[in-house]
Amino acid sequence: MAHLISFSRSRCTTVEESSDGIMTCTCRVTDNILDARVQIQATLPDLEIMTANSRIDHSLIGGMPVAEERLQNLLGVRIGPGMLKIIEGLMGDDPACVELAYMAEECCHGAILSLTKEELKKAPLEPAESRDFFSKMVQKNVRLHNRCAAFADGSSLLDGVDIS
Amino acid sequence: MLTYMRNKLVNIEIPADDIYVAYGFLDDHIYSLETTFQVNGADMTIKWLKGHWNRYTTPDCPRAEDPLQGAVGLCLTDEGFNRSIHRIVGRKACRHFATLILECCDAIVKTKQMIENPEKEPEKIAETSMPGSKIPRILDTAPKRIRKNAKIPFDQLEKAPHGFTIDLHMHTSPASSCASSPVDEMIEEAKRIGLDGICLTDHNYRWDPKDIQKLRDKHQFLVLGGNEITTVQGDILVFGLDEDIQGIIALKDLAEKVAAVDGFMIAAHPFRGFLAVSGDKLGLDVERAANRPMFSLVDGIEALNSKVTVDENRFCGQVAKALNLPATGGSDAHLAGEVGVYATKFSRVIEDEEELIAALRAGDGVPVDFRNDK
Repeated sequence: MAHLISFSRSRCTTVEESSDGIMTCTCRVTDNILDARVQIQATLPDLEIMTANSRIDHSLIGGMPVAEERLQNLLGVRIGPGMLKIIEGLMGDDPACVELAYMAEECCHGAILSLTKEELKKAPLEPAESRDFFSKMVQKNVRLHNRCAAFADGSSLLDGVDIS
Repeated sequence: MLTYMRNKLVNIEIPADDIYVAYGFLDDHIYSLETTFQVNGADMTIKWLKGHWNRYTTPDCPRAEDPLQGAVGLCLTDEGFNRSIHRIVGRKACRHFATLILECCDAIVKTKQMIENPEKEPEKIAETSMPGSKIPRILDTAPKRIRKNAKIPFDQLEKAPHGFTIDLHMHTSPASSCASSPVDEMIEEAKRIGLDGICLTDHNYRWDPKDIQKLRDKHQFLVLGGNEITTVQGDILVFGLDEDIQGIIALKDLAEKVAAVDGFMIAAHPFRGFLAVSGDKLGLDVERAANRPMFSLVDGIEALNSKVTVDENRFCGQVAKALNLPATGGSDAHLAGEVGVYATKFSRVIEDEEELIAALRAGDGVPVDFRNDK
């Protein structure tokens, strides 16, 4: 039997930054039941959501108009730790709201990863120096400790690092 | 200018009846990773899973591949499945793998629904981190006056020659789903390390004053009620509001409720994560930070919190000073071993919530690095 695909999804998230410090984050999803786009704009340095809009080209999930309206609840939410709880709480858990909330979250993650990328540009390529760079990173930001395998006890990045 | 792009591709194959195989691929400007796994439709459990990196950041990222096996055996339709994936895969392996696996699982659930009931609308795994929050809502309309706790003539409360230190911020299990230690363990640890009292500030959870009194009697220790309420503008520690607030509330609305009962609001970890990543790029300075509208609505700022970086705490203290707002300290403990990392020291004995609020309002509290200062 041919190995045919029954369901396919493509989700693309982009972040663009303009010269006036506005980050425009867009999440587009296309799958068997949904073709949609959510876009948010946030300002630097506060990273607060200042606009949120959406476009639904095709959806088999009911309740999209309500979900689109509810995106406006996100205005003023700050992108950063704790945002998922706020976004999900403001959007509610109807299926359409969950879809658009997830897309908004992807936009927010994109904004954070865009900033993270700038920091990671400073990481050296040479292994020993790279290890030192990330060791200092976890030492400076203890919240990273045990947040993933790379920063867990036993990792070489924690060798000689005083987490306490 | 495009600064970041992430592409996620998920395909679901059904090679045999009730067998689903997911192929997930994530590629962005920082990472590239893949996963393939099988789910049996009969019980919706993950039977096997493979995952590997194509590109990563730290030299130790490859350590994430083995712990991925922790996802095998989990059931997609179990309550708490998303949380389990975040806890097992996200924390022990890598959150980007967790994200990709959850995206695949959502696709499998939708595929199964499409096949079994093509007329019915497919549904995502409707699980949020705020259980029961169908629509943002607030319980109880009329704020009640705070209940004054009974005075307790404990020996430790008679004198405070060296100050009186209370951990103003901690979470207990099961009241806060993110916490691991039960309240009795937290109190025992607080007593062991020499704190004079603690405040129970579980997330959107109001302790019954009778239960707090029982804890005081049982442990002969000062236990005060409080609450960490999630607002649109961030987490707020609230004292004196005897109202069960569920869901997300606007900070302005919360401020009105708290003012109506002469309560006290503290912005909890207001700059958490702000300086850890690209602090330079954000360009946040004390003056700009102090102008944030949220600070006009709170009574105090948590300037020492053990879940944020040293730089973030330092910055927070500077903002509190610039605003001339009372600064407090709290551990934000989720485990007994974290109790009292930071706390707030008062010049005199605090016996109940009303006295705590009065002391805070008078600016009597000072944030302290309690465990290190001992």
